[in-house]
Amino acid sequence: MRLLMGLVFVVMAAAALRALLPRRPGLTAFAAAVAAIVLVGFYPGDLATFDFWAGAVGFVSILSALLIVMHPNPMVSVLFLILNLFCMALFFLMLQAQTLAALQVIVYAGAIMVLFVFVIMLLNLKAEEGMRVGMGPQRWAAIGFGAAFAALMFWALRHRHGSAFVEPKAFVEGFGTARDLGTLLFSDYLFATEAASVLLLAAMVGAVLLAKRRLE
Amino acid sequence: MRIDFFLVMAALLFTVGCVGVLIRRNVIVILMSIELMLNAVNLTFVAFAHEMRSMAGHVFALFVITVAACEAAVGLAIVLALFRRRRTTDSDDVSLMRW
Repeated sequence: MRLLMGLVFVVMAAAALRALLPRRPGLTAFAAAVAAIVLVGFYPGDLATFDFWAGAVGFVSILSALLIVMHPNPMVSVLFLILNLFCMALFFLMLQAQTLAALQVIVYAGAIMVLFVFVIMLLNLKAEEGMRVGMGPQRWAAIGFGAAFAALMFWALRHRHGSAFVEPKAFVEGFGTARDLGTLLFSDYLFATEAASVLLLAAMVGAVLLAKRRLE
Repeated sequence: MRIDFFLVMAALLFTVGCVGVLIRRNVIVILMSIELMLNAVNLTFVAFAHEMRSMAGHVFALFVITVAACEAAVGLAIVLALFRRRRTTDSDDVSLMRW
């Protein structure tokens, strides 16, 4: 947890630097990389532990999330979103959700992000028109709201009942495998699965209709 | 294994996505921030599925991915139609239905 706090401070420093130097994102990335290397070098424990790797992936995911929101160029934002999705897949692997990690990479980082990349390339967006943020009051209100929201979430996490419904049960055989997920999808959640297929069909028809040049 | 770390990560990512939706004016970046928030929720689902030793959370995360795919497809089609009519992707320029 001490590592996590250190990472959060590094990310906050990088964000502050980014705010001070609005046209120098490369410098921010460089400073963050240096900070990460220093942090790894002074890490007190063993490097080959779960905690270290979880912290490293968490650091990359937070940094990429901040860059999605702050980078002026939407194309760079998409690339960092893909990085973030890969970090999420690694988190899923750490939580023994192998099937979901594979689906995350294939469906999310593979299919959905291709859609984003193609639309941005099709619109040919420049960095300058991408970066307009809201007016002063709305911007600061949003940042204040975000800080309050984060504080609320941390408060909820600190006060949650850690062992209300958890006795450390053993995992059932096949937890997180495709077979168990499929069995669950087509037994307990059959109706939801069919509803999802209808939703996908409706979205497909809607997207085709909306993207058509003119309706006849 | 305690899952608090993953919950903290999900909370931070959700907050970043939320602030992104509020401060950015580019519609595509707003859509990306929404994807970020959906992913944070997915992480929470999977973390609690791990803690409760139940795969229901995985099913829910799968449905969230499905809904995110639909949302991205329709949202980007709307962005394309908007750009074709107005030559802009700025949400402040689209104020016809705003009071």
